[in-house]
Amino acid sequence: MKKILLVDDEQDIVETLKFVLEGEGYTCYCAYNGEDGLKLAKEIIPDLMILDVMMPKINGFKISRLLKFDAKYKDIPIIMLTARIQDSDRQIGEETGADVYITKPFDLDEVLSTVAKLINNKSEKEEQKEQEE
Amino acid sequence: MAKILFVSNNNEKIKHYDEFLVKYSHDFSFASDTQMFFDALNVEYPNILILDLSSNNIDFSQTYRKINSIKENLTTIAIINNNKIPPELQNIVDALLTEPLSDEVLLSTININVRRKESIVRLTNSNQNLSKSLYQLDVLYNVGSQFSTTLDKEKLINIMLEGLDKALGFSVACVLTFKSENEPLLIINSINQISDRLLEALKLRTVLNYKSLFENKKMPFALNIEDLKTIKYAKNPIDDYDFSVLRYDNMFAQINLSDNFFGFVEIYRENTFTNEDAQCFHTIAQQVSMPLKNSAYVQEIQRKNKELYRLEHLKSEFVSIVSHELRTPITPLKSALQIISSGRAGEVTDNMSRFLTMANRHIESFEKIINDLLDMSKIEAGKMDYKFVATNVEKLIEFIKLQQNSVASAKEIELTSHFDDKFVYVFADSFRLQQVLNNLISNAIKFTKPGGKIEVGTKIIDAKDITCPKCFEQEIKSLHGKYLQVCVKDNGIGIEEENLSKVFDQFKQLESSLSREVGGTGLGLPIVKKILNAHNGVIWCESEINVGSSFYFVLPVATDESNFWILHKQLIQQAKVNKTNFVTFSLTSDEDTIEKLLKENNLIKDTYLNNSVKVKKDDKMTLTMVIPDSDECAAEFLKRKINSTVLNDKAGYGKCDIMFSYTTYPKEND
Repeated sequence: MKKILLVDDEQDIVETLKFVLEGEGYTCYCAYNGEDGLKLAKEIIPDLMILDVMMPKINGFKISRLLKFDAKYKDIPIIMLTARIQDSDRQIGEETGADVYITKPFDLDEVLSTVAKLINNKSEKEEQKEQEE
Repeated sequence: MAKILFVSNNNEKIKHYDEFLVKYSHDFSFASDTQMFFDALNVEYPNILILDLSSNNIDFSQTYRKINSIKENLTTIAIINNNKIPPELQNIVDALLTEPLSDEVLLSTININVRRKESIVRLTNSNQNLSKSLYQLDVLYNVGSQFSTTLDKEKLINIMLEGLDKALGFSVACVLTFKSENEPLLIINSINQISDRLLEALKLRTVLNYKSLFENKKMPFALNIEDLKTIKYAKNPIDDYDFSVLRYDNMFAQINLSDNFFGFVEIYRENTFTNEDAQCFHTIAQQVSMPLKNSAYVQEIQRKNKELYRLEHLKSEFVSIVSHELRTPITPLKSALQIISSGRAGEVTDNMSRFLTMANRHIESFEKIINDLLDMSKIEAGKMDYKFVATNVEKLIEFIKLQQNSVASAKEIELTSHFDDKFVYVFADSFRLQQVLNNLISNAIKFTKPGGKIEVGTKIIDAKDITCPKCFEQEIKSLHGKYLQVCVKDNGIGIEEENLSKVFDQFKQLESSLSREVGGTGLGLPIVKKILNAHNGVIWCESEINVGSSFYFVLPVATDESNFWILHKQLIQQAKVNKTNFVTFSLTSDEDTIEKLLKENNLIKDTYLNNSVKVKKDDKMTLTMVIPDSDECAAEFLKRKINSTVLNDKAGYGKCDIMFSYTTYPKEND
């Protein structure tokens, strides 16, 4: 079972995503602020993270940067969610290493297909690595 | 009465004339030889000099020089017998009398000359007065013309004081004004320093003067000596003025703005003032009131402007905050609806699905309204960020056609595209340009009846070949060069001619039953217009009722130059928003290597170089760039640095001309 970590201070969004993703057969872990999210990410090493940008304590950009610059966690795909559509934010998101950037309000189908694609990519890469070894 | 010096060696004559002339109350003295003559002149100059040329012991030609040197204030009468007048004296003698001489002739000659002298003195005096008046008039004129050069209160008062100083020359001038309602200010200009106890005395005097002005009447402003602030300016900081100043002659004038009290001015001078001085003083004091009044108006306008600006800002802020807040709940709302409609939360009946669709539709339009509001508030605050890259418009149009096709075909509307010129690039923010095209096409779908046709087309056009309805001509006029023209043409309801230009105004959805039916904020087209303007583009439309509308917009075809001007605009916009300064910098060189010079010597950041424009004309290369967040000092420094680098290697870089202009933003809203 693939593990997905959801981090957003809006509980309703976490709950909705959790409901849909669990319906698709993923195991979901939830955190409601940046600090807990980062701790949980290091603890469970999820197969994918969905991160909100605007959060109390540590914001999404920072979490993403911390994880992507750490060899242990850099392979975790990150989907960044934000309410702002400013291009500058999009760029910062990309620079911090988020794999995909989705603006709120999002389309659930878009989230689902993105999740599936990123997890597939990751599995393929891991298989390749194993074969090489 | 005149002072008469009689030069003669004839004692009889001396005695005779002494008696005779003293009788007519003239002051008589004599000299009987050359030495006495010079001695007499050393004691006092006479008014009238009578030379008895028959005195053979006196060499009159020797006296010539002396007489000539004082002849301005002297009347010289020569008495001759039968001898000749020495040639040296011919030119300096005013009257020549021959002997035998009657006393009456001598007396009348003396009297005529005395009267003539008196009238000359009078004339000289009035001449002096005239030239003084003329000077004062000149000063008045100058002051008057200077008053019109500024609206700054302090500067106006300074001009007034300068004028008073020039025209009248005061020792001390005190001006009382009210900086604001309760801030009385005493400005003291003086030649010497004002001693502390004189300052206290002047303050007290000012308060008393002020109170006496409004005796038994209500004073416009309260004035206590403790609250009275003072500013002192002294030309000569070494010497001090003390109480003696208070004994000087002084004049006082009230400064009124229309009927309102503004303040007063008082000047002190050691010499007494004449009536003309008083007139001049009052005229200058009156003259200052008009520009001061204007300055008060300007201040009021500026204050109101600031307030308006603040309110406008507050409004934008409010819209921005509210929109953000409204936007937040859309996400869970949309997701929840989607979960239910997808059946994940349980079976959906036909009725449920009908209402879910309805809810979805409204959430989507709600979202669009909020996005529009957010965009508009961002544009108004100047915070819209654009990322200009070379963009192919055909691709964008094809992409949007795919997106909108389902909506169009649901309404049985045919959506087609054609491109006269292919592979044309413009510098644009593709996300925003997509928004523009989406807006125009979805508008066209909205206002076209089922079965209609919408056509999107592009072509390259020269600015001078663009045609548009009259109300848009002004904007088109400013364009030059090659443009990509995009047209979205429908055969919908059309727009009345008088409303054509209004469609781009904020919150102006045209009044019609259909527009109410299709809904919208009326912000769509204004946003489109603003986005295109930021791209140095222009939008306009043509329409005919019940035949259809065509919306056109043009964007400059991508060249280094068009790119620069778009970036230029954005950088200036950013400087305005961030309230920073910017410098525009131009380098002209007869060598193409100028860019290499800047790069190789690390003179200018690469980002600025990348945002620069190079224009080659008559074998001269001009490189222009905008450097945000910079100042005049930095520009001057950069100029010197470049100049010295060029001087070191003339052969490599040729001759350079460097120009820069420096602008600070914002000027008015500090």
